[in-house]
Amino acid sequence: MSKEIEIIVDAKTYHAQEGSLLIDLLIKEKIKVPYFCYHESLGTDGNCRMCMVEIEGQKRPQIACDTFIKPDMEVRSTGENIEKIRTDILELELINHPVDCPTCDQAGECSLQEFYMDYGLHDSKVTITDKVKHSKHVDLGSNVILDQERCVLCARCTRFTDKITHTHELGIIGRGDEARVSTMPGRKLDNPYAMNVVDLCPVGALTSKDFRFAQRVWFLQTVNSVCHGCAKGCNIFIDHNKIKYQDDVIYRFRPRRNDDVNGFFICDEGRLSYKELQENRQGVSLLNSKEITEEEAIQEAKALIKKYKNNISVVIDANLYSEEIEAILAFAKEINASVHSPLDIYIDETFKDNMLKSANRAANYKTIETLSIDTNEPESGGLLINFNHPQEFKSDSKIDFLTHKRDGADLVFPVAAFSENSGTLSNEDGIIQICEKAISKNIPIPTIIETLSKVLV
Amino acid sequence: MKECKIVSRKFEIPNSHTLEVSKAHGGYRTLVKMDEYSPLEIIEIIKESKLRGKGGGGAPAAGKWALMPQESDKPSFLAVNCDESEPGTFKDRQIISKDPHLLIEGILLTCYAIKAKHAYIYIRGEYKQFQDILQSAIDEAYEDGLLDHCDITIHRGAGAYICGEKSALLESMEGKRGHPRLKPKQKEPEWFFDNPTLVNNVETIASVPFIVENGADVYKSYGTEHSPGTLLFAMSGHINNPGVYEAEFGTPMMEYINHFGGGIKNNKKLKAVIPGGASTDVLTAKEAECATLDYETLRSMKSALGTGGMIVMDEDTCMVTALKNLLEFYHEESCGQCTPCREGTGWTDKLVGKILDKKGTKEDIEKLLEIADTMNGKTICVFAPAVATVIKSFVSKFRDEFEVAL
Repeated sequence: MSKEIEIIVDAKTYHAQEGSLLIDLLIKEKIKVPYFCYHESLGTDGNCRMCMVEIEGQKRPQIACDTFIKPDMEVRSTGENIEKIRTDILELELINHPVDCPTCDQAGECSLQEFYMDYGLHDSKVTITDKVKHSKHVDLGSNVILDQERCVLCARCTRFTDKITHTHELGIIGRGDEARVSTMPGRKLDNPYAMNVVDLCPVGALTSKDFRFAQRVWFLQTVNSVCHGCAKGCNIFIDHNKIKYQDDVIYRFRPRRNDDVNGFFICDEGRLSYKELQENRQGVSLLNSKEITEEEAIQEAKALIKKYKNNISVVIDANLYSEEIEAILAFAKEINASVHSPLDIYIDETFKDNMLKSANRAANYKTIETLSIDTNEPESGGLLINFNHPQEFKSDSKIDFLTHKRDGADLVFPVAAFSENSGTLSNEDGIIQICEKAISKNIPIPTIIETLSKVLV
Repeated sequence: MKECKIVSRKFEIPNSHTLEVSKAHGGYRTLVKMDEYSPLEIIEIIKESKLRGKGGGGAPAAGKWALMPQESDKPSFLAVNCDESEPGTFKDRQIISKDPHLLIEGILLTCYAIKAKHAYIYIRGEYKQFQDILQSAIDEAYEDGLLDHCDITIHRGAGAYICGEKSALLESMEGKRGHPRLKPKQKEPEWFFDNPTLVNNVETIASVPFIVENGADVYKSYGTEHSPGTLLFAMSGHINNPGVYEAEFGTPMMEYINHFGGGIKNNKKLKAVIPGGASTDVLTAKEAECATLDYETLRSMKSALGTGGMIVMDEDTCMVTALKNLLEFYHEESCGQCTPCREGTGWTDKLVGKILDKKGTKEDIEKLLEIADTMNGKTICVFAPAVATVIKSFVSKFRDEFEVAL
């Protein structure tokens, strides 16, 4: 076990583990240090040379990503000398970089842009015609587009395919200023986690085919949420924006770091699941496929519940928030209904892998288990109230609470999707996680709890 | 001049590359010493001899040998660096084409000392014809049973200068891109697939048989106190007899150039000498007059002995063109890993090109020196610092030529 020691950074004392990386401390303590190549998930590579700091007793400045913390270490992260070095290295980084931030999709979340504002602010000393030319908008497969000219050769993407996915699709070819990222001959970047390279890329070299040019990132609002793609419960950011006169729309999911759950990454399927979430939504109440008002639907539901008294089954989708499940249980008790949540339909062994993907595609099945809800199918006959469960069941009459359009039910209530509501989920390891509300629709769709409270009155 | 042939002893003998001729002239006779000395005793002899690595760095060879574990669960390896690509350097290929068995003999002694059972010879891709000679010597040695207890495999490089850097060499041998590795924080051996490995230059290994046979004192009787022994110095450029000639350390540079090289071509005057492969600081004619060929003197002149491959330039040489020539090489060969080197080599090359095209300004010369500053001491390996000092030495020592060229 390493011991905790004190070190001095910029005349302030910090506590750190002996032998840990200096850059980790700087990042943790929010001490400004520029870097491209280092990433906590990928470790040290030491190629960008941006994270230079001065260490007392060392003749030359050192890169913080390859400096291990030792007792009595004295570090300077600012000062004329170190800032000049960063400026000089940044200038070299920029000489062959295109000067096209206004048309670059990364603008606004680009490390190079940020560091230029911190340490650069000089005019380009190289004429555009002298710049090294490389390929632009190269389709790497799996929704990732490469612009070799914008690349800073930090090798995060190649290290990701080497160290994380072990698929080795990406490599660097060529030497010197002709070096560039490329797929290996005859290969495509097509592993199920490929789009993480877009988040890893500190500049606009790797962009998502799905997201590029869809929105300027500074218009996006971000909330913390959890992916509903499987029981793993990967933490995500939901980036959304409401353009004037239009509805609030999700533009992308991004992984949110959680070392206990997903680490730094999410799978591509989860990342792109935001699309399904917004498409084909059930927005209104239906009776025998005809639109009715919410009030009419509530009266109809009350009548059906009365008619089938003591012969009612409730089915719960294992993706619903724990709060919703609890409310449904209370409702079922009130109307004396049996409660079911068949889980077989969620199991998809082909989806499972040894990284993040779970064979159980229900985000909150653990809560179903914890609450000892019957996972057998309901008996056919009587009234079936289905709370967004994906399966079809036989019954005499049906009430569906649906986020997305589906055929079949006599009476349909629209319900808010998880992005339009906040709540908690329990992932397959029993970790309880909160999802914040992201979307406020122009015409809000009521949540299950809101509708149930009206039905019960 | 004192005749001293330690490594080049058999070079002039016809068919010296064959096992038969090698053995007839004393090849492999030091192998009996393996019965006499323990591995540690061999390392001690090498340490005593103060043998310095002959690939350019000049670090004491025994220092690296002593880092190799004598007891380990992992196999140890020897990697012989024959990726000779430093411009102006062509000594190792003399050994592998004229006396490959001396190298094999040296490998066997070294492997015995560091307890390695397998040696790799990393040879530059362009050396195919020399590789073939070396391979047939290895085949002969296998047939003769010399390699019953130690394997030798040639690994052919794909033609990158940087693979001569020991850690890039090992990366390349592991089948990866030849990128230098980050330097370890403490003294430790190199690692080949996570196994302890010693990397030494061909000539270093080829010097081992002589030292083991004759003892450290005989070796130290050549050369100077801190640079004992001999080196296969080489000459190219504007001289009458370019080539590789072995001489002891401490030989005055001009004496060497005049004695072996036959003086400057066409009776021209000397302008400059790059003393040890392209990556050492250029010396003016005046400096060359005072220089002696040993590590300490050239260091004191702020240059380096490097590989001992001298590039001689006469009075008609345009130093701007000469620097452009060198920078084109570095621009092409930078591995592209670290930012300062990747972008700096290209930019400086273009700037000197601009000066050469008469489009340069005074600011360009200043910028050149500024970039050299940024490249110095801020990268993983010493490639960029070497380029930086080359630029600085050319510009500072021949500044008038750069200004005239504007």
